Amino acid sequence: MTLDARSDSRADLLHGTLDMLILRTLQWGPQHGYAIGQTIRAQSSDVLQVEAGSLYPALQRLAKKGWVTAKWGQTEAHQRAKFYRLTPDGKKQLLREESRWAELVKAISRVMSPAPGPGTEE
Amino acid sequence: MGIVSWLKRRRLDEQDFQDEIRAHLAIAEQERIEDGADRRSARYAALKEFGNVTLTTEAARRVWTPGWLEALRDIVSDVRYAIRALRKNPGFSLTVVAVLTLGIGLNAMVFTMLKGLALSPLGGVARSAQLRVLYRQTNTGRTVRVSYPDYQYLRDHNQAFTSLMGSAYFDMNLGRGRGARQIFGELVTGNYFQVLGVRAQLGRTLLPSDEIAPGRHPVVVISDGLWRRDFGADPDIVGKTIEVNNYRLTIVGVADPAFHGTIVSYDVEAFVPVMMASQIGIGARNPGNVSSDPITDRRYGLLFPEGHLRPGVTAATAAAQMEAMWATVSLDRPLTEATQSLRLVPFWRAPTGAQTYMMPTLVVMIAMGLLVLIIACANIAGLVLVRGLSRRGEIAVRLALGASRTRIVRLLLVENFVLAIPGAALGIVLAQQAIPMFVQYADWLAVPARLFFNVDLDRTSVAFAVLAGCGSALVFGFVPALQTTRVDLVTVINEDASPRGAARSRLRGLLVIAQVAVSLLLLVGAGLVWRSLEAARRTNPGFDPDSVAAVAVDLAQNRYDDARGRVFYRKLLDAARADAGVESATLSAFTPLGFLDTPPTRVTIEGYEPRRGEDLIFMSNTIASDYFRTLRINVIAGRPFEEREDEQSEPVVMVNDTLARRFWGSAANALGKRLRVADREWRTVVGVAADVKYSKINEPPRPYFYLPFLQAYRSDMILQTRGSAPIHVLIDQARARVAALDGDLPILTARPLRELTQGAFLFYRLAAFMLFLFGTAGMALAALGTYGLVSYTVKQSTHEIGIRIALGATARSVVRHVLARGVRLGATGIAVGAIAAFGVGRLLRTVLFGVSTTDPASFAGALALVLGSVILATLIPAWRASRIDALRALRHQ
Repeated sequence: MTLDARSDSRADLLHGTLDMLILRTLQWGPQHGYAIGQTIRAQSSDVLQVEAGSLYPALQRLAKKGWVTAKWGQTEAHQRAKFYRLTPDGKKQLLREESRWAELVKAISRVMSPAPGPGTEE
Repeated sequence: MGIVSWLKRRRLDEQDFQDEIRAHLAIAEQERIEDGADRRSARYAALKEFGNVTLTTEAARRVWTPGWLEALRDIVSDVRYAIRALRKNPGFSLTVVAVLTLGIGLNAMVFTMLKGLALSPLGGVARSAQLRVLYRQTNTGRTVRVSYPDYQYLRDHNQAFTSLMGSAYFDMNLGRGRGARQIFGELVTGNYFQVLGVRAQLGRTLLPSDEIAPGRHPVVVISDGLWRRDFGADPDIVGKTIEVNNYRLTIVGVADPAFHGTIVSYDVEAFVPVMMASQIGIGARNPGNVSSDPITDRRYGLLFPEGHLRPGVTAATAAAQMEAMWATVSLDRPLTEATQSLRLVPFWRAPTGAQTYMMPTLVVMIAMGLLVLIIACANIAGLVLVRGLSRRGEIAVRLALGASRTRIVRLLLVENFVLAIPGAALGIVLAQQAIPMFVQYADWLAVPARLFFNVDLDRTSVAFAVLAGCGSALVFGFVPALQTTRVDLVTVINEDASPRGAARSRLRGLLVIAQVAVSLLLLVGAGLVWRSLEAARRTNPGFDPDSVAAVAVDLAQNRYDDARGRVFYRKLLDAARADAGVESATLSAFTPLGFLDTPPTRVTIEGYEPRRGEDLIFMSNTIASDYFRTLRINVIAGRPFEEREDEQSEPVVMVNDTLARRFWGSAANALGKRLRVADREWRTVVGVAADVKYSKINEPPRPYFYLPFLQAYRSDMILQTRGSAPIHVLIDQARARVAALDGDLPILTARPLRELTQGAFLFYRLAAFMLFLFGTAGMALAALGTYGLVSYTVKQSTHEIGIRIALGATARSVVRHVLARGVRLGATGIAVGAIAAFGVGRLLRTVLFGVSTTDPASFAGALALVLGSVILATLIPAWRASRIDALRALRHQ
């Protein structure tokens, strides 16, 4: 962990994205930490591997902001686990994140593959 | 939400978080087992996948920690680390703390004096430094108090002050008979205590209702000290009476314990309403024996008006306003004396009190104190730098492990603060020990008068010391810290000489030069002041103070009238002269070289037309016969007073050489000429005495005259006897003679005349002592600093010296080589210091006497001392260098 200012802002961007992924995962119902990690991994076809070292601090961050609440419960295999559930605030936040993400993706794709504009000669 | 869960929400629930991690691992393990792994490898794989549990917990914890708390934790850990590191290196730490203690202690001492004189001069009075004082000044620069009628006018008509009070101090006789003694008292207006904001701890203070009609307010407020000493803190004191100058006054209150009056350095014990001035004999004590009523006489300077300016009124506006008012007053009711102006000054420049005499000396001491602090900082900077260099390895490792430069600079700074705080604390202790020594010395000089200085170390002093300490830490720690972090990893690891080494050695050289230069500056100052003291001691004051006993009495304390008083003093003189071992005996109202000016009197010279606005006011003395013989003052023309010059004979006067020459051209010419004192009878000049130093050793020659005792009777006189007997025998004999004539008469002073003249040397002595202290401290620090830095250089170049020795260099040539480098730095420092000393020598002029600011002896002495200490500080490491074992030095690599 470093206090370097530049790495902090880089971390912000990553945090933001990870937070969005977690909120998105919880949209279909409460899940425990391990399952959240697994879900993200499965949904991204094994591309995004969320490490526990990032996942659990992120869950604390979301809990602190009041976007998720946690409650101990039992898994289907009757194992003890802490389940996270989206709060109404968390739902609103997810909507905000989704639209911001869509903007970002649009912007990036415009830069990466510009469509020929009017008047452009081939 | 309950308070507990709210509190829980503020921080990570550690237990819960660990449970959660365990649950995670269990689920992951279980999943692997279901996939067909055995229990052990499943558990291992789950742990591996999870990663570092500690780091994860830390990251989760940090989510909940506010930024400032985290910073605080970092600093605490820095402090802990710093203490550990410093403990490992006690030599360094103790040296730094000792150097800082000296630097800060001296400065805290000087600062406390400054506080006692200017920043917070009056004990028990809030905002005392902001008081403004009014006084009259003649065109010749003489200070005159403001008369009561003028004070009243100014008080009632000015727009500048919130409220204007008036006060004046007088020596007052307290009590009667054997137990009587002289105290400092203040004559004060009714609003005095209100303007100062001082309360009574018992009874009441004086009030405006104590200022209605002359003679109608026989009351007094006494100080806490008087109440405790003379009345054993009697709780029923209010309503009892004391006698002040033989007049009975009823005690109405005891002032706040912290309050000691408004004259800096005087411990005022009684506060008497101004309306009682005549009753306690103030007007009758008018010099020249002209009685006047100080309440109605506009020519009787009685008070110094003081007060706080109204909010929003600047000093300049107020001064202009008071000047304009004064012009109106003077026009309406002109004073016949010389032209006067009304001056408005801040309290620290008030014409009475110690602040006026002490300020020039103090300014010099402040400058010197700061120079010592600069040396101390340069010194410690050197130590920190050297230590930093030997810690390069540690720092390189930290940098290599990824610590940021800011982080390391912060750590090094924290280390310096950790050193600065005990330095400041010990400095305060040092000052606390040293200040009472000065106060005691001043007390001894002033006996039997009581002094008070507001110089206890309070919050301001402590704040100053801590601030000075931390400021120093920043100064001495910052540059070396920056230097240290600029570590070249490769260089350190290879232990190689680097091009950056040159920059560091330049900084070391600069530190040595700075210390040597400043210590030379201090020593030149000390030398100059020391030589001033010598010159002052050597200066012939015009009389011989040795082997003379001085015993003061005031017959008014036992209610003698004039006739009985004359008889008493005549008998006393006869008896004293009859004593074995007494050569001659005399009486006088004042002793010379008494530090403070005595009240001057207006004089008219026959046939001399004063120029417009000329101020013919001179100091004088009332003396008995044999005065000049007893004090060994030359009579240069005519004759001294004789026994037969009494109230029946023709009025006579003696003048000093300066007065004779000013008005009649020469001493011989003055004989037979006439003058008048305070518009009374004409007196014929019968003799001219040589000039004497009347108040201070550095005063210019000034006109002075003498009146014969029997023609100008005063109740308070000082018996002086000269003899071959030891001085204490003379004193005891004189005391016995007074007691034999009147056993109930209190003796006010009984001391050798030599001691009574010490006050005149006080400031030279104080300045010389302080500067000597500062100079010595500075020199010791500079020598220490030079030694440390040269030793270090030698240590650093062990390799190089080893090569030289291996190639055949002799011990002598090695010594010469190292010595040359040290002396080169020392010489540069001395040159810089000498130039600076020439430049700032002028600032010392106010405290110098009889030496020029470029006095060669002082410069040569300081130069020799500094050069000697630099050579000594270099010789030791140089000698050590010459004994370096070439083989070992080379094998090292």
